[in-house]
Amino acid sequence: MGLLSIIRKIKRKEKEMRILMVGLDNSGKTTIVLKINGEDTSIISPTLGFNIKTMTYDKYTLNIWDVGGQKTIRSYWRNYFEQTDGLVWVVDSSDLRRLDDCKFELDNLLKEERLSGASLLVFANKQDIQGALSPDEIAKVLNLDAMDNTRHWRIVGCSAYTGDGLLEGFNWLVQDIASRIYVLD
Amino acid sequence: MNNQQAFTIATDDISTDPTVDPTTQRKHAAMIERLSNLHQSRVSSKSNVKDPSFESTQSFLLVFTNSKQAIETSLAQIQQIPDSNLNHDLKSDLERISLSISDLEKLVAENSYFLPPYEVRSSLKTISDLKQTLDSVTSKVKPRKKFSFKNKPAKKSETANVLVDAVNKNEPEHQSSYKVKDSPGFRSKENEVLVKEFKSSEVGEYVLSDLTNCEVRLKGCFRTLFINRLQNCKIYVGPVLGSILIEEVEGCLFVVASHQIRIHHAKQSDFYLRCRSRPIIEQSVGVRFAPYCLSYDGIESDLKESNLYDDAGNWANVDDFQWLRAVQSPNWSILPENEHIDSVKI
Repeated sequence: MGLLSIIRKIKRKEKEMRILMVGLDNSGKTTIVLKINGEDTSIISPTLGFNIKTMTYDKYTLNIWDVGGQKTIRSYWRNYFEQTDGLVWVVDSSDLRRLDDCKFELDNLLKEERLSGASLLVFANKQDIQGALSPDEIAKVLNLDAMDNTRHWRIVGCSAYTGDGLLEGFNWLVQDIASRIYVLD
Repeated sequence: MNNQQAFTIATDDISTDPTVDPTTQRKHAAMIERLSNLHQSRVSSKSNVKDPSFESTQSFLLVFTNSKQAIETSLAQIQQIPDSNLNHDLKSDLERISLSISDLEKLVAENSYFLPPYEVRSSLKTISDLKQTLDSVTSKVKPRKKFSFKNKPAKKSETANVLVDAVNKNEPEHQSSYKVKDSPGFRSKENEVLVKEFKSSEVGEYVLSDLTNCEVRLKGCFRTLFINRLQNCKIYVGPVLGSILIEEVEGCLFVVASHQIRIHHAKQSDFYLRCRSRPIIEQSVGVRFAPYCLSYDGIESDLKESNLYDDAGNWANVDDFQWLRAVQSPNWSILPENEHIDSVKI
């Protein structure tokens, strides 16, 4: 059994997760990804296309796909749905006017069959800005409670600017995906 | 066992051969014994193959299908119980089923590392179907108790009002702490000069919307600016620490500085920008760009404070999201220097 147990260990070590970051433009997706990766966030242009970051979290390897949110490129989101384990929906909590846009796009996304098994983390970003809605209020506006009840989801308030809440959110997401796909040891 | 016999015979042959040296003979006998032990252990390990944890897709599928059928059967049984006959055993029945579903989930998780991706996916799908069935059965026989990840099923009729409610709810908070804060900003004005001075960088978002023929002067640093539906306006803004979002503007002049600037649905407008990153336009036509040219008392320290003191020249690096070709987009251009306005002092 020596060889077998070695192979098993190696396979378990390669625990990969594919995470898709989406949300309206100006919600802070790229800033969140760079912030948790410990990179400089002072100069970030609106994402034309997408960025991929691979990082290690716990014993898992996260492949984070950060896809641009501008209206003209939202139709390309669907190219990234395949084999997504975790979906991160980022909301600009200070952009009250476009919350209905935000709800509309999220509802569309959740209808997508290829994302039906993915855990959903909603980041209520920009909590550091005065006048931003709280995560509870965002949850109400997006009507998250009415979601299909097989979906694993959670909303977390965060600030990509200060970094608050980011680890809490990703921690939940990774643990939730792990409990579905891998055995927690 | 035939092999063993063969070994035995071979041993006999060797031992009867007088020409073989006794040391070699001993070594040979030891080797035969090792081989036979190995064989023995292989034979006995064959019986372990049926163990479900052993890595075979087929044995996994067998176990999986059996448990799945068991769960389906118990679910069907519960559904057949007449409504009048609701006893409290039902609760434990449902809990038992829920437990066996999570056992099944665990089984998939334990075996996921060797299963083909298709099997993992289809098993997970089966599990989520089972959960859904369980939920619907539960809500049918015991409407109040729900096995789900959320506990407050919102009523559909509330949906439409939620947005309004949430926004309304937010207003009193703003008003209590800040006099002008109702997502503070200037809204629905015509032919006015609107002036606002921000005293500290603690100010959050600011809104300019539905303005016609107005001049707006915003001094000091703040975090983020939303601009929406302006016609023939002149907008002069101090450094914005976060981002500026400009939508549906026509015939306007903007002098703004920010870390990020996004322009949507703009027509025939001029933008004098300082931007840390590349400004972008979408669905816009006839927009022209030039460098920032604003001054007021204290603008230098405001610019330094918000990291916008240096002009990296990004005002000219505009990305048109609807024009992804190498040649210049027809939707925007650089404003010729002889058409620049003079530096503005507010």
